[in-house]
Amino acid sequence: MTEIFSLLRESPQALYGMRFHQGFELSVAQLQEIHLTGARRRFDTLRTSIRALDKLAAEQGISRIDTLDDLVPLLFKHTVYKSYPISFLERGRFDALTRWLDGLTTLDLSGVDTAGVQTIDDWIDCLDTQTELRIAHSSGTSGKLSVIPRTREHWFNQVRLTAGCVRDWHGPDSGPDLFSTPMPFIRLSERYGASVQHRSANALVEMIAGSEDNTLFLFPTERYSADMASLGGRLRAAAARGEQGRLELSPVLMARREEFARRNAQRPKAMERFFADARERFGGRDVLIQAIWVNLLEPAEEARKQGLKGLFGPRSALLTGGGLKGQTAAPDWRERITEFLGTDNYYEFYGMTEMLSNAPACRQGNYHVSPVTVPFLIDGESGEVLPRNGTQSGRFAFFDLLPESYWGGFVTGDLVTMGGWDDVCPCGRVGPYVHADIRRFSDIEGGDDKIDCAGAPEAHDRAMEYLVNSSGGH
Amino acid sequence: MAVGCDVPLVIRGRVIDTPTAAFGGRGDGMVFHACDVAEHLDELALSAPSAMADLYTLSFDDILDFLHRLGERLQLADNAYLQEAFRVSCLTSGLSESILRHHYKEIPFYFHRDVVAGMAEGLVGIDFLEGWVERPSGSPGVSVAVRAFGARCVHVIAGNVPAIGVMTIVRNAFTRSDAIIKSPSNDPLTALAVARTMIDMAPDHPLTRHLSVAYWKGGDDRVESYLYDPMRIEKLVAWGGLASIRHITRYLQPGIDLITLDPKHSATIIGREAFADEATLAAVAVRLAVDIGMMNQEACMNARVVYVESGTDAAGLARINRLGEMTYRALRALPEHVSTPHKRFHPELRDELDALQFVEDEYRLIGGGDDGGAIIVSQHDMPVDFSAMLACRVGNLVPLDNAEQAVRYVNAYTQTIGIWPDTLKRKLRNALAWQGTQRLVSLGGTYVLGSPATPQDGIEPVRRMCKWIVDETGEALDKISGLPSVEAVARG
Repeated sequence: MTEIFSLLRESPQALYGMRFHQGFELSVAQLQEIHLTGARRRFDTLRTSIRALDKLAAEQGISRIDTLDDLVPLLFKHTVYKSYPISFLERGRFDALTRWLDGLTTLDLSGVDTAGVQTIDDWIDCLDTQTELRIAHSSGTSGKLSVIPRTREHWFNQVRLTAGCVRDWHGPDSGPDLFSTPMPFIRLSERYGASVQHRSANALVEMIAGSEDNTLFLFPTERYSADMASLGGRLRAAAARGEQGRLELSPVLMARREEFARRNAQRPKAMERFFADARERFGGRDVLIQAIWVNLLEPAEEARKQGLKGLFGPRSALLTGGGLKGQTAAPDWRERITEFLGTDNYYEFYGMTEMLSNAPACRQGNYHVSPVTVPFLIDGESGEVLPRNGTQSGRFAFFDLLPESYWGGFVTGDLVTMGGWDDVCPCGRVGPYVHADIRRFSDIEGGDDKIDCAGAPEAHDRAMEYLVNSSGGH
Repeated sequence: MAVGCDVPLVIRGRVIDTPTAAFGGRGDGMVFHACDVAEHLDELALSAPSAMADLYTLSFDDILDFLHRLGERLQLADNAYLQEAFRVSCLTSGLSESILRHHYKEIPFYFHRDVVAGMAEGLVGIDFLEGWVERPSGSPGVSVAVRAFGARCVHVIAGNVPAIGVMTIVRNAFTRSDAIIKSPSNDPLTALAVARTMIDMAPDHPLTRHLSVAYWKGGDDRVESYLYDPMRIEKLVAWGGLASIRHITRYLQPGIDLITLDPKHSATIIGREAFADEATLAAVAVRLAVDIGMMNQEACMNARVVYVESGTDAAGLARINRLGEMTYRALRALPEHVSTPHKRFHPELRDELDALQFVEDEYRLIGGGDDGGAIIVSQHDMPVDFSAMLACRVGNLVPLDNAEQAVRYVNAYTQTIGIWPDTLKRKLRNALAWQGTQRLVSLGGTYVLGSPATPQDGIEPVRRMCKWIVDETGEALDKISGLPSVEAVARG
């Protein structure tokens, strides 16, 4: 036990090689020491090599981390990783976009050549080819894409964490060891792309499935386009600038939109093929599936209609999370999904684009924060840090100790309730945990029937939003 | 900590004060208790059109007298109902106390007989309200008369400024209409205060008997499926766009005339003449600060994105940055009855402002360190990506090489454009009009130059509130050829 404590205190990245369940046996006092030591080390090192952090620290007048709460003013708001002007995209200023990203990572991007880059997808490919960066972008449903500067290594390390979780979450070796036997990898999406889910899928294919043959995708040759994901936000920004805005929308982008709409029209056929392939190639076998819950609702319904049950083997594993995201579903939606898949061996995580070490849910439904993630709760009204005791509700913020090439501090848009500082979750795991009921602040702000006459109704490309939301790209 | 308050129901001269259901804006800690309107639907709706007749026993002078007397009773210092509305608004509104006080004190102005007469004449035409007006028929021997009559109307009003409910009541009165005002949760008491004062003053007066003020939750089928029926109402005036009509679009049908006053934003254009000399620039900065800051930028007409013909080269940026600095200074120095730091700076906007430091080559942020406001100066010809979110006294100056470029940035949601100088306004006004704007005004005047007797949002809502009835007289037999002769018909 003390060995794990010293290892993590020395280097949080020791978690990659550990028995996953042991991370939840450390005492709260030990966790706090791991957190403070790790945070100090990160701040001292990264401050001088990440311009954005240096700027923020200077502005806040912070030169050292003495207590965990000293970190709070340094946590990046969600707007930081999307602070680039959309005009960079519309006007093809990918050199400026690269310079912007350079300020957010320790990697030196000054030598990156963006000649010929016309779209975000091109830009991502350019970075993938010329640097160690494998950036992740958000899904863009909120309007603008965030860009998180992860590296190649991050994705592989994250797979090691995931594999450890699947193997040890319900006790050591309670689940399959994904590394010992290549397991088929199944995903209801495009094969390629740079969203968090697509990047991690790519690493899972390499490290777990072992070969492309050992995989099944809904669109096996297609890519989830960052340009498509960004389209909603760009259309809105353009609408705010009237006729001129519309004129300046990239024609390449609009051509892609047509392409994307066509692909989506093929979805029902692709779904048919998927089911047929699944039955034929992997029926009854233990597989690894990665999908957020909402992306499984439709297939589960399809399966129900076809009378399909128990598609895969019972020792299959489902990596999932995300709740229903506001969609309505039958009360037994989870059961319908596990019934069609053939396994109830699911690993549900609370996480986000910005978090490397996600928080798995226990059988009580509580999400257990990783030992190398420093959680904070911020009071929704006052902005003050809430005390680390009892049960508290507030805005979730965190400092992720794992990344060494970007700053791991974030403030989220989630309203959560947390416990675990001075109580132990009924599941037996020690340490802070987040209750199942998680809400978005943006859904709560504003009372009923508040009517204002000042506002700019958002330009809704309804068709586009539907396409982006239903693309399975998350 | 929630503060509570009762919201009675006023139906045609009667106050019903048995609050049962709670509602409230969670953000501002207010909890209101309102009566269940569903229990009083029969009285609320005016199902018998003959009940409009009593309004026609009043002359226009009678209406002016009534409103004038009412206005005298609406002095904030003497009216307990308004005082409570004011107190609650101080908690729920984005306007600070000093600004609200100013607006509540202005309420009597809307009831002054000269002002009402001016509104009635400018918005409809008193002759049409009072009687049948001869109109050219275009046909010899045919005379046509037109009269504007009142209608039975539901008003779903906005609550961000107190004048909206007040204006609705005045307009309802001089058009001899019947109004059911649905109160918004962000201001459930102001219109109610005026209605209750009417009841205290003259409970049986026809104008009192044709006003109801009620709160019900938007989407409450029990109320809306009953009320939104052409047998019961003829017109629906909805402020707030989709938010106010989302639940009721399914009830719309021929027989209900929907008048929407949608949320809007506004823009500003400043010509190169501003940079003639320091004194001119300073004067422009003060005007601009007024248009940004007045009413704490809560109104649809406030300036937010400001297009400036400064030039986009280094010299141009230096000019616009200077204007930005001066405007910020003027903004912070505005008198408190006009503008103050916003009480509840929007957190999403705060996040956006905080992120600007990471792109300071593209956007210069002046101020923004506290909640008192800020001026963002774009260093290229595009506004910030979050321009739709600008509020709480945050403006965004955008440099252009040519003021005409700004014309194409206008869209259908652009209501007011403040322009300096007036010569530029004249030059651009036609192009701006067909591009989508609805109102042009000299810089600095978005509030003070506004007149209550002009079209609003590109339409004439008060004319729309009326029913325009036609009466044609003539000898039909002279107009149709080939008819049987009268003698032949009489003889059998």
